[in-house]
Amino acid sequence: MSVINAVTCPICGCLCDDIEVTVVNNEVVKVKNGCAVCEAKYMGYKSEHRIRQPLVRKEGKLVPVSMDEAIHKAAEILANANYPVLYGWSSTNCEAQRVGVELAEEVGGVLDNTAVVCHGPSLMGTQEVGIPTSTLGQIRHRADLIIYWGCDPWSAHPRHLERYTTFTEGRFEDSEWKSYINKVKAVAGKKKLLSAQRVEPHKKPHETVAESLIFNKPPETLQKEGRKLIVVDVRKSMTAEMADYFIQVQPGKDYELMQAIRALIKDEELDVEQVAGVPVDYLREVVDALISCKFGVIFFGMGLTQSAGKFRNIEVAISLIRDLNSRTKFLIMPMRGHFNVSGANIVSAWQTGYAFGVDFSLGYPRYNPGETTSMDVLLRGESDATLVIAADPGATFPKKAIQHMVKHPLIVIDPHLNATAMLGDVVIPSAFVGIEVSGTAYRMDNVPLPLKKVVEPPEGILTDEEILKKILEEVRIIKSKRDEKTEAP
Amino acid sequence: MIVLTPLKKFQFPIHAECINPDVFQGKSVEEIASLQVWEGNRQKKLGDIFKIEATTHETPNITINGDVSEVRRIGQGMKNGEIVINGDAGMHTGEKMAGGKITINGNAGGWTGSSMKKGLIEIHGNASDYLASPYRGSTEGMRGGKIVVDGNVGSDSGSHLRGGLIKIKGSAGPFLGFHMSDGTIHVEKNAASRLGANMTGGKIVVSGSVDELMPTFTIDSIKPKVKIDDTETAQGPFYVFLGDLAEKGNGKLFISKANNAQLGPIYEKYL
Repeated sequence: MSVINAVTCPICGCLCDDIEVTVVNNEVVKVKNGCAVCEAKYMGYKSEHRIRQPLVRKEGKLVPVSMDEAIHKAAEILANANYPVLYGWSSTNCEAQRVGVELAEEVGGVLDNTAVVCHGPSLMGTQEVGIPTSTLGQIRHRADLIIYWGCDPWSAHPRHLERYTTFTEGRFEDSEWKSYINKVKAVAGKKKLLSAQRVEPHKKPHETVAESLIFNKPPETLQKEGRKLIVVDVRKSMTAEMADYFIQVQPGKDYELMQAIRALIKDEELDVEQVAGVPVDYLREVVDALISCKFGVIFFGMGLTQSAGKFRNIEVAISLIRDLNSRTKFLIMPMRGHFNVSGANIVSAWQTGYAFGVDFSLGYPRYNPGETTSMDVLLRGESDATLVIAADPGATFPKKAIQHMVKHPLIVIDPHLNATAMLGDVVIPSAFVGIEVSGTAYRMDNVPLPLKKVVEPPEGILTDEEILKKILEEVRIIKSKRDEKTEAP
Repeated sequence: MIVLTPLKKFQFPIHAECINPDVFQGKSVEEIASLQVWEGNRQKKLGDIFKIEATTHETPNITINGDVSEVRRIGQGMKNGEIVINGDAGMHTGEKMAGGKITINGNAGGWTGSSMKKGLIEIHGNASDYLASPYRGSTEGMRGGKIVVDGNVGSDSGSHLRGGLIKIKGSAGPFLGFHMSDGTIHVEKNAASRLGANMTGGKIVVSGSVDELMPTFTIDSIKPKVKIDDTETAQGPFYVFLGDLAEKGNGKLFISKANNAQLGPIYEKYL
């Protein structure tokens, strides 16, 4: 039995690096400090869905083949493709991503990571207006106003509040854990009261109660000392339940709300009485709270990046931060999903100059979301081969994109037989990054952290990096043979 | 005149910035056929993918007969001459154009007329997103010239506009005239949400209805008519809004009063 300390968890963008894993006979038996998602991954990564052998589709069926055959087949597909798409990259380490960039350049394809369907708009917004941000450590020790906009960390990044924001004991700011406990008790009491009032279900619930649940006036505690938590969302999420103030924005109206807040910060008068369902008088109180804080931060998620307006929402959010910084100190940070999607962006930007949606077809990197992003290429039906690694577009992309993807050869590199692998023509199993493979990953604040290898991978299973290197080598051989042929006559 | 006809239906994106009257000028058909283009990740010659013929007509300089919706950068940076496309045109058509005329008898792809400086683009169909808008991250919008669209336009059209006229005879998508600082946009039918967001100058005239107005515009007056260009005025009456207040902007929105009765109760009390 061995206990491994300070293991970095390969699940979400929080990259908690305080996990303690107990290993017996090359198997994880106990996980300490992790959230439920972390524990589930460490304990369940060896499920029956794990692929044990490379597979190639022959006569409509996936049949087991040797690793060399699968790699040769994959290289052949990529080398002969006229416009291949290389998508995924977010659940693997930076070392594999670096080889991926080289492969994409060699085959003249479109290199794209999962940011295209999550925080791509954040990167585009950043490109338009820049981004004032910091590391999570700064926020942990100093932030006294935390805003979660369009995200629900309690469910999606379970340890975010506890490790980096409201519920952590910072050097200059105290944890709000106790006041949260009181609040939960109060909410539970309120719910009991409400259900007691609802004895006659055919009668409408008391109107004032319903109103207070939707458009609650900003409480006086919003101006209190100490850490404050504001949540802006379209529905009352788990995180919103524990917030000091919850702003329920009408779906798809975040842009208007932020722009109105910007105008109010600049002491402009608005003609309208409410914006996105929120009375302007309430907004003024929120603006007071924003300006009077010492160190504020906005965390934003899919609610902002993937609702109407997309990257313009992020652009306006960053502009809002810029305006706030003329009055106080304010920062902004995207809540990145996959554990190394930030790394995929950083490696891609470091190697090519662009964070996602990079097109190598002309021999040099080009970038124009809408033109060179994998989703748009697939929807327009332009590509003629796809390589998917460390992602599952088969389960997340729109039907039309998948229909086009499966019309042409599809190579999948993944530890699991996921939805995309089931559609694949060549399926190559890989080792689990962060469990069976070490490497580097970037946290959501772009801080690189080392991933640890806690167990050995199953026999014969290679890492993403090794597989990609082998494919790259094979592609170069096929291409040089082809060049010789064309030069010979 | 040179007539280009696609030899097949294109699957892969084709980069053909050589389809430009300035480049074709003084070249024989053989020379034109040997111009380099990209099809996907393979380099080809223009003659490999188009049938190229010369006729005795003087104008237009280039005619393309067929669907070229996958062909990008036609007429990029052109200064003189005329291109007629009888079919759909691809992305970046007429990008950074500095003179001449492009007629598209079909739909236009994204970024048509992107950052153009001078000249005329006529689209006798719909235009996709980012009409006349600059490339990602740039604030160098259209500076001059004219774009006329018979159909509808997509989102983010005319963003960072710095001059010139965009005339849309159909409806416009969201974020029309985003961050524009000068120039004129006229929408004869309806405009979607976030109209003129972040604008600091220039004017947008909407003769139809608007989905909703940004809360950061303030009403100024009601005007009976508004000038579009030297030859044209739009008949109102129009509500005149100033904004965008979030940018302390001085842009003007002219919104038809007759087609937007919903704005009356909110704004007329301030007049």
